[in-house]
Amino acid sequence: MNSNPSPSNSSRFEGCTLTGALSVLTEVRDAVCVIHGPAGCTHHNFSLLHATLLSNDRFEVPRLLSTRLTENGIIFGGEEALENTLARALSLSPTPASVFVLSTCIVETIGDDVAAVCAKDRGIPVIAVPTAGFLGGVFETGIRNALSTVASLARPATEATLTANLVGEKNLEYGVDENAAEIARLLGLLGIGVNLRFVRGIETGDIERLGSAAANILREPALRPVGEDLERRLGTPYVDSFPAGLDGTCRFLEDVGRICGIEASAAVEEERACQAAMLEQFADIAGSRVRFQPPHPMLRGDPGAEAICTECAEALDLAVVPDGTAIPLPYPAPVGTAGLRRMLHRWRVLIREERRG
Amino acid sequence: MKQIALYGKGGIGKSTTAANLSAALAGEGLDILQIGCDPKHDSTRMLMHGTWIPTVLDLIRERGDENITADDVVYEGFRGVRCVEAGGPEPGIGCAGRGIIATFQLLERLDALKGDVIVYDVLGDVVCGGFAMPMREGYAQEVYLVTSGELMSVYAANNIAKAIARLSRRVRSRCTLGGVICNAKNIEGEGELVEEFARRINSRLIAYIPRSRVVQVAELQKQTVVEYAPDSDQAAVYQELARTISGNETTSIPTPLEMDELESFALEFVQV
Repeated sequence: MNSNPSPSNSSRFEGCTLTGALSVLTEVRDAVCVIHGPAGCTHHNFSLLHATLLSNDRFEVPRLLSTRLTENGIIFGGEEALENTLARALSLSPTPASVFVLSTCIVETIGDDVAAVCAKDRGIPVIAVPTAGFLGGVFETGIRNALSTVASLARPATEATLTANLVGEKNLEYGVDENAAEIARLLGLLGIGVNLRFVRGIETGDIERLGSAAANILREPALRPVGEDLERRLGTPYVDSFPAGLDGTCRFLEDVGRICGIEASAAVEEERACQAAMLEQFADIAGSRVRFQPPHPMLRGDPGAEAICTECAEALDLAVVPDGTAIPLPYPAPVGTAGLRRMLHRWRVLIREERRG
Repeated sequence: MKQIALYGKGGIGKSTTAANLSAALAGEGLDILQIGCDPKHDSTRMLMHGTWIPTVLDLIRERGDENITADDVVYEGFRGVRCVEAGGPEPGIGCAGRGIIATFQLLERLDALKGDVIVYDVLGDVVCGGFAMPMREGYAQEVYLVTSGELMSVYAANNIAKAIARLSRRVRSRCTLGGVICNAKNIEGEGELVEEFARRINSRLIAYIPRSRVVQVAELQKQTVVEYAPDSDQAAVYQELARTISGNETTSIPTPLEMDELESFALEFVQV
């Protein structure tokens, strides 16, 4: 039964499971996604993904196919249309290395058995992803289900390497690659490499090595069920979030060190020095007056954003007052020390503009 | 034009009653259209002398709904009764209820819903909005519940009364309960039980159809009783039913029984 949360929040996060799942699955670059349902469901998601990719300066076209169900498909059942579309997907050039199959509200309503159709051997992985459109939950449900489903392509690890996976990067947000680079830098302080970006710009074959990392770094705590799932299936422990804030970034190093059995104090010390040097660059705005502006009421803010901003304001000796310069709370919260530096650049621009009047 | 719908538990004899009713109404000189609204598509078979006519949904599936004419879906049977079968998807797949809605849309577009009386013969349980379609605005204004004295059959009839009561609350709804037809199974006190049930749901028993071997014999001959044994007592019962329904001007909004009322009602009538 559907139990979508309140309609007061119309941000992407209460949107369709398809959008969430596709934001993950279209990052498997040699795969094709088949959406079983009316053409409109595919059209709408294609437009959203394409526009978002463009606004993030990525000139790519998501590989989506629709089963293009119409009224007759609903009345007589749509499994045949799914069979035909899977055949079409397999005959595409270049041939996909895997096919992900997503279901819409209406095909779940009439009871089409998507998993049973996918179970037939077709030579490449054809995988049903639990979605069911709006009926199956929200955007975040789609992300979680897609990540857990894609993980079924992982091979049992033969040996663990001193590496980590980045799990559930926010592919539709700006700055995804900068954030990943920051995590790679922080992991590097501990001598840990990145095994796999799960899922961002990878190929089907890459997923096999998902289980050989020593740790999974989840993008945010909402992905904990995925972290638990991966730990159960592949034995990989997880850290539940990318780091945020000055202290938060140091804690992150300690957390990763702990689960990987690495002494982190040297890395933390190095990072503290790096943060001090970064803050030094913003000495010119010390003492300024600011106030933090919540996001538009129709959008959801990042719950951690205000604490991080307050922490930075204290570190830079800024006064937070009702008539200070309006500083929008960032979404998503900045990642690591590099994220804070980019945020403080924006603060400086706003503060200087106000000074100039 | 009078539009009526027969509803009742599966296997209770709706299609037999509907076919004989249509045949008897046609005998009064009326132009009759009977529409079977059940994926089993056996409503009009006796009127068609055993022929399985192509269903609307079979034709839609084969040709798409653009290439269908009224002649493709309407077949003339005994006494000129025009017969339509909605049909449905294969068992276990798709959505039969949506199929009924699509059938009605097509029949509207083909301007096929006409005649002096339209008889809708609808599958046993109103499991979804699709099967309530014949009760909606613009279609049947009178629903007749077909039931025996068996409790599960009365229970099903009560459920259909709930659907009528619900739909009648809609602003432009003209759907009402025309009466209750007892299609007897030869249970002792059956007529009284069904009559009392009808009274309690704010309706009345309009016909008692006794169980008769001639129904089965006529069926083996692929005919309605009205055709096979026109002078039989059974045929007279159907003719009386036809006269009652075509002259019926007393309809009601039903007051269905709650579950506990239905159970205590059953205890009053069934000798343990």
